[in-house]
Amino acid sequence: MMNKMTDKAKEVARELLEKQEVDLVIGWERGTFEDKTAPLFMKKPEDVERLVINEYIVNSLATYMLHYKTHGGKIAIFVKGCDSRGIVRLIQDKQFTREKVYLIGVPCSGMKEVNENDEMVDSPKCDGCTHPNPVIYDVIIGEEVQPKNPENRFKVLEDDLNKVVEERWSSWASEYNKCIRCYACQRICPACNCRECIFVDQSQEWIERRVDETENGTYSLIRAYHIAGRCVECGECERSCPVGLPIMKLNKRIAKDIEDLFGPYEAGVDIEQNSPLGDFKYDDPEEFM
Amino acid sequence: MSVEHKIPEREKQQGEWTPKIVGFCCNWCSYAGADLAGTSRFQYPSNLRIIRVPCSGRVNPHMVIRAFQKGADGVLVAGCHPGDCHYATGNYYARRRMLVFKRLLEYVGIEPERFQARWISGSEGQKFAENAIKLSEEIKALGPNRKLRDVR
Amino acid sequence: MKSINKQKLADVLTQWSKGYAVMAPVDEGSAASFKKWEEGKEVQLDKNSTIPAKNIFFPQTEELYDYKAGKDSLELAEAIPIKDEMIVFGIRPCDLMSLEILDDLFLTRGYIDTYYKAKRDNAVIVSYLCGEPCRTCFCESMGIDYQKAEGADITMCFDGENFGFIAQTEKGENLLKEIDLLTEERDVKLSEKQELKLKADTEGLAEKLALMFEHPYWDSAYEKCIGCGACTYLCPTCHCFDINSHNRACGTGFKTRCWDSCMFPDYTLMAGGHNPRPTRKERFRNRFLHKLQQFPERYGKTACVGCGRCISKCPVNVDIVAIISQLKEVDINDQQGMDRVG
Repeated sequence: MMNKMTDKAKEVARELLEKQEVDLVIGWERGTFEDKTAPLFMKKPEDVERLVINEYIVNSLATYMLHYKTHGGKIAIFVKGCDSRGIVRLIQDKQFTREKVYLIGVPCSGMKEVNENDEMVDSPKCDGCTHPNPVIYDVIIGEEVQPKNPENRFKVLEDDLNKVVEERWSSWASEYNKCIRCYACQRICPACNCRECIFVDQSQEWIERRVDETENGTYSLIRAYHIAGRCVECGECERSCPVGLPIMKLNKRIAKDIEDLFGPYEAGVDIEQNSPLGDFKYDDPEEFM
Repeated sequence: MSVEHKIPEREKQQGEWTPKIVGFCCNWCSYAGADLAGTSRFQYPSNLRIIRVPCSGRVNPHMVIRAFQKGADGVLVAGCHPGDCHYATGNYYARRRMLVFKRLLEYVGIEPERFQARWISGSEGQKFAENAIKLSEEIKALGPNRKLRDVR
Repeated sequence: MKSINKQKLADVLTQWSKGYAVMAPVDEGSAASFKKWEEGKEVQLDKNSTIPAKNIFFPQTEELYDYKAGKDSLELAEAIPIKDEMIVFGIRPCDLMSLEILDDLFLTRGYIDTYYKAKRDNAVIVSYLCGEPCRTCFCESMGIDYQKAEGADITMCFDGENFGFIAQTEKGENLLKEIDLLTEERDVKLSEKQELKLKADTEGLAEKLALMFEHPYWDSAYEKCIGCGACTYLCPTCHCFDINSHNRACGTGFKTRCWDSCMFPDYTLMAGGHNPRPTRKERFRNRFLHKLQQFPERYGKTACVGCGRCISKCPVNVDIVAIISQLKEVDINDQQGMDRVG
């Protein structure tokens, strides 16, 4: 099935470039090893030969659209389910218009990657995926698939359910002592799209460059809060983290709280729907007031 | 994993510890309420330090964390009652925001009593004082806050 | 050679901890980093540490000095860079070579970094020779034999059951004497060397790159880079830092230095607002020119030890080995704007 999708993908990309409907197609190519892929930027029809569609295309390409905001022409981009939600998120945040991007949808049966012990495993980010098929697209290159285990969407929160306050702090703080503040999570995230991130702009001194428990904790909490209600739960942050921090726990916790408080919600699925924190109802819950 | 906080000398010399609570009060209602508490001579502890903001909707959760970073033992966000916001809808956004943020803080292990939000109107001077006293007692019982506090 | 069974490792480290601060790659779950070992902590030796050993000598955040400014006075109190003598336990030949590169940088050319020097002078190195390289290792291409460690005081090898120690200096011999009662005489053999999967040929690269500043290769090579700092922070030879002052109450404060990354947008941002490396293209080009051309020109060594951390951890698979081979293949005459040559 993957080979057929690769051929169809090449066909679509080649046609777009030959007819000059777009001047850039973003996809994936083989990386250092068979089981790694890297983003591929195709500008000429010949570049299309390097394109691959397989079970290793775990990268979300949505974030690259932020680097092409001022690009004159139209851009085509391959999107899996989670990537397409990232694109919807960017469009909702008015980073670019829907007309600027031509979406080539790739139905995704789950990604695989090589883990720390050199074993081939299912990508942790795919567990609990609720939208394996792209939610918006202009053309789709394969048959839609069923979500494998959508009931696992909040599974990662289960082991924290019964912890008491001190346990929560000590486990959380000790995890975040590993953070090296490389900002990979912030760069790869489609919801993190501020032109000038407060964590990067040192002149404002919202956060210092020091690496310690408090600064790391502040960074992670505030980033999680800034994307609250806008996180598409693609898991790219956790995948990019070089030290393996459980970043999705914070994001999933906020997503679950938002569902519990304000009703079922999934970011980046419905392009018309407002983010819950950018909206209100007169009869919202008022637990502690 | 605990971190060695280098607490400034002057704090150690203070003697009996009293909590430092930062209160973000909206200008039109809760700040006026605090003012009324003062003019009506309702006593409340001086460890509640007030920061006046135009609206509770202006309060950015990062400010709350920064208060904890700089040594606050507790934070209060006080605004107008829903429906009475001077800017019509500011406190509705604040309500959603503070609910989500409060749960996030609890999730990472900050004691729930340390961050509180209240609706206090301009005429509720007594309510302001009562809340300030109650908050101060709750936080005094918890002790000084070291979580999210600047290491130095 | 002196040898211990793997069960006794904690005892050896405990014995050494009595007189030294033992810095070992402590396993923190999803990552390992060189930290002060304490009883009960797990040491990760089967893989290279995530955070390189440079963190011991050039910590990510380091206090420099305290200050107290009065109306007419200024008092400075320098931080003490090191309290105990250290044993650096489990450093691999690649990270050890990176220390030699950092020595060139911090200790030569007229200015000596006293904070780095104090730690470097007071450390005994116990190097771990690699049994099985990872698939992302390419140290051999950078001139390293991963089963030798010339700059170490003691070399250590592991055959799955037993550790074997060989002292290479007097410091090393004295250190082994301290654990004499715990060791036995036994020969421990390393597994046979395997061929590394990744190979990079840097012959003549620095000279070629000196002419390639404006080459169109850079116009497309940078595109997949997202501009995080993961590669620079995990690289054992990267050494850029920022100095910050932290003002506290009543005129007091302290200065710290911390790692900085040339991949961050504000790395070259100047006070007037001008930024000579405004986009990812300039920053990406700078990183590779620095490592492969500028550092070799200045110090005679490529600023890369082939540890492969950047390849395995880059979220978008920016691969220095692939870039080196692409750079070797590009046609140097394929240049636009040659009259603007740098």
